[in-house]
Order: sequence, then C-alpha cells, then structure tokens
Amino acid sequence: MTFTGIESLTLPLAVLALLLMVFLADLLVPAPSDGRQSDAQRGLGALTCVGLVGVILLSWWMPQGGLAFGGAYVQDAFATYLQRVLLAAAALGALGSIDHVDRNFPSRQGEYYLMLLFSLLGMVVLAGARELVLIIVAFELMGIPLYVLAAMQKRAAGGVEGSLKLYLTGAVSSAVTLYGMSFIYGVTGTTNLTAIAARLSLGDDQGPLLVLGLLLSLAGMGFKIGVVPFHMWVPDTYQGSPTPFVAFLSVAPKAAGFGVLVRLFVEGLGAMRDTWWPIVLVLCVATMVVGNLFALSQRNVKRLLAWSGVAHIGLMLLAFGIATVQGIGVLIFYLTAYVFTNMGAFFIVDVVGQDGSDDLDAWQGLARRSPALGGAMLIFLLSLGGIPFVAGFWAKFLLFWAAWQAGMGLLVLLGALLAVLALFYYLKVARSMFIEGTDGPAPRVALPTALAITIALLGVIGIGVYPQPFVDAALAAAAGLLGG
Amino acid sequence: MNEIIAAGPGLSAWLILAGVLFSVGVYGVLSRRNLIAILCSVELMANAVNINLVAFSRFHGDTLGQAFALFGIALTVAEVGVGLAIVMLVYRQRQGIDIDDLHDLLG
Repeated sequence: MTFTGIESLTLPLAVLALLLMVFLADLLVPAPSDGRQSDAQRGLGALTCVGLVGVILLSWWMPQGGLAFGGAYVQDAFATYLQRVLLAAAALGALGSIDHVDRNFPSRQGEYYLMLLFSLLGMVVLAGARELVLIIVAFELMGIPLYVLAAMQKRAAGGVEGSLKLYLTGAVSSAVTLYGMSFIYGVTGTTNLTAIAARLSLGDDQGPLLVLGLLLSLAGMGFKIGVVPFHMWVPDTYQGSPTPFVAFLSVAPKAAGFGVLVRLFVEGLGAMRDTWWPIVLVLCVATMVVGNLFALSQRNVKRLLAWSGVAHIGLMLLAFGIATVQGIGVLIFYLTAYVFTNMGAFFIVDVVGQDGSDDLDAWQGLARRSPALGGAMLIFLLSLGGIPFVAGFWAKFLLFWAAWQAGMGLLVLLGALLAVLALFYYLKVARSMFIEGTDGPAPRVALPTALAITIALLGVIGIGVYPQPFVDAALAAAAGLLGG
Repeated sequence: MNEIIAAGPGLSAWLILAGVLFSVGVYGVLSRRNLIAILCSVELMANAVNINLVAFSRFHGDTLGQAFALFGIALTVAEVGVGLAIVMLVYRQRQGIDIDDLHDLLG
C-alpha cells in the first residue's frame, strides 16, 4: 500500500488534527483541584465548535473524487455531502453542549469533546468507506465513544442504565454485523464493495450463504439506527443520557448508519435488491407504525421525541429502500432537514429540563414564560410533523413523491396517515406550551445554547423557504453514487 | 456457492462450528441475567465470527480473512474494555450486576 491519494483523506485528517488539538489543550490546561472548572477548560467546547466550522469550510477546498487506501476509502460527492451533514451536526452538538457540560460535569470537559470528536472521526471515515474491514473499524470508532458519552452522568440514576442498554445492543449488533460480513466476504472472496458489486453483476447464483450474510448485516445495522424490532434501547438511552448528547446521538449516528446502508446495499449488493427490498419494506412499515403508536402515549418529552425519531427512521428507511437516484437523494436531504430539526428540539428540551424534569408538565405555559423558546419549539415541532413551509415538510413531500413515482402508492397512503397521527403528539407538546399553565419566570438560556437553537432554527426555516440548493446537492450526490 | 460446498467437509465443518458458537452466544445474551455472563456471551459471538473469517480465508487461499479477523479481535477487545467500565459503574451504583435490578427508566 502506498500513500498516494493521501489528499483524498483531507477531511478525516482534519478531524483527527482537531481531535489532537483538543486533546493537547485539555492536557495543558491546569486542572483545578477543587473539581470546579477553569475558564480555559470552558474554552474546549468553543475550540471544538470553531474547529469543526473550519473543517466544514475546508470541505469546499479539498480535492474531490479521489481514492485512498487502495480504493477502501473514496471521497466522492455522496461522502462529501454526508460528511458536511455530520460535521454540521457535531459542530451544533458541541455548541449546544457547552452550557450543559459546564453545569453537570465541569471537571470532565475534555473527555466529553474528545469522545464527541472520536465518534465524529468514525462517522466521517464511514461516509467514504467502501471496504468491509474499514466499515467495521469506522463503525466501532463511531460506536465506542458513544457508550462513554451516554454514561457521562455516571451518578445519575438513569445515566448508567441508558448507557448499558446502548452498549449491550451496540456490542451484540456489531457481532451480528461482523458475522454477516464474514459470509459476504466468504462467498465473494473480496471485501471491496466495488469488487463485490462487479462479482454479483456477473450473474453468479447468489446462494443461501450470501443471503444469510445480507440478512445478518441488515439486522446488525438496524440495531444501530434503531429500526423496529431492534429499537428497544432508543427511548431508555435517550431518557438517561445528557440531553445535548442525545441531540447528537439522535441524528449523527443515524446519518452515518444510513450512509453505510447505502454503500453496502446499494453500491455493493445493489444487484440483490430483489432479495433485500421485501425485508426492508417490512422493517420500514413496522418502524413507522410502532414509532408513531408508542409516541402517542408518552408524557416524557425526551421519550416522545425518541419514539418520534423511530418513526422518522421508518420514513428514511423507505427512502433508502427505493434505491434510485431520487430515493437516495431524498434520503440524504431528509437527513439534512432532520439534523437541524431534531437537534433544535432537543436543545430546547435541555433548556426546559435543566430543573430536572423532562415531563410534559414542565412545559406548561412555556410560550407565555418565554415566547421565543415557545415559538422556536413550535417551529421544530411543525418541521417534525411535516407542515409547510419548514424543512420537514419538503423532506416528507419529496419522500412521498419519490415513493409514488416508484409505484408505492399504498406506502405513501400509510405514511400520510401516520403523519397525521404524528401531529397529535407533536401538538400535544404545543398545547402544553401555549394553552395550559400559568405565567412564571422564563427558563435560563445560556448564550451558547441560545446560539445553537438560533442556528438550528435558521437551518429549519432556511431549508423550508428555499430548499432548492440542498435538494440539488443531495440529488447530485446520489447521482454520483449510482452513476445516474 | 457451489464450490464452497464442493470443498469438502473442511469448510462446512468450520462454518457449522462457528454457527453453533454464535448461537450459543446469542442464547447467552438473551438468557443470562448477570452482566459479566452477557459480556462473555458477546465474546463468544465475536469469536465465532473469527473462526468463520479464518475458515473462509483458508478456503480462498488468501490472507484477507485473517487480517479481517485480527481487526475483529482488536475491536472486540476495545469494546469489552468499555463494557467492563460500564459494568463497574453499575456495580458502584447498586452493589450488584444483575440486569433485572436495572429499572430506573420507564419502559
């Protein structure tokens, strides 16, 4: 292996450099002995965030289309688009975490941002990984720091339990994925996805072992992104973990997970779509239905958003299953809209829940206590529900349009019905904010959190008012992947 | 596919062994209530994968599968390391590592 093509690794290397910078800064900052934070330590979050913005800008300057590690990593348009989404999610997540980390574990700031960056590095590599070994390594690099982050509140009652549930499902799913990939390697004799695709396009008979490998890989990946029936960890982990981290957990690993699904099942095993599509269809319907039904009865807003997230994963799974340029384009556009919407909503949950309760009762009269927060949350809820003209509307609309064109009329009908059902629980939160409750003091919003909410809000409204550039970029990325 | 079966009992025997090990691991994860026993079962699943990979590697006559297995071993070690740390946290909180004791979160 030579180091030609190292310039294709610009983005992962940039994240790695930032990671080392934060690591060194954390070492050099004198640790206060009394367990309180120093101002310099507080700067670690700002450093992470500013650095990530720099890396995002860098992504417009770097060479495109190159291969690295003998074709194991490719910096194509699809990877670049997904990486920008991931980097934006991480930057927003770091910004929104600054205040929460300060309040809850001030002496462990360095750990928090380092783990965030390690996980991000795994995701960034994952977006361009086109080789089974690299996929697995990057997958673990993404997953292991998430277990640590989920357990950050190690003395809180639910914190460790949530982390343990994430860990157990994660570890089992890794083993299942690896088992599946061992069969894919065993049958095709190669671990490179393009070589696997070439092998399959020869029309070899696909054999039960390959189908087994495909099923196991799909199940393992399904665990990670929280597809029904592998979703049990989602609400518990969300409830028990630090809220700004949940904002990150609810979008970035999902985006990276869908990236791998696309690479593996469309780019690599695309010739076997007839085999995997019926399974994805069943998972997709189950995920949409179960997510929406369980969200209906939730009183805890974090759990409500967790179940609504499961429902959204179902919709994205539909976009993934269409597997055309349009479908994949809609999938990554959906992820873009979802990043801003969901992260914004979780940041507001963090603000409201800083007194210790994520229960719906704590939300009563929020719009009267703080009209800005109430209004912002309403917009995020409308975007999650898919009301015109915010980001979530275009995502749902384009998804249903793509599904309709692919001849899935019944699924569009089901999706539309469930979208109406979803409005019930989203508006339940809105009703609590706007109609119930009395006046009172506005919750304290720290400056970084306010900034993060504002950026998320601008993203949601911006994509809602003028979605064209995002849709075009997403479709171009998908076309580059599928050669359309 | 056909050439894999035609390779004689060698490969299929290893695959069956790996399949049995993997199934034992899955059964252990689902049935054990002790966290350490669950971690052991996950380890069993991971080792089944390694047997699979090395068997396929031998069958194809290349070293790719062996390299894959080495990566798999390293990843499992890292994962179990973090897992044990989380189990330690659980033990400090409740003086026990039985999974049935964990029910702070609804659902």
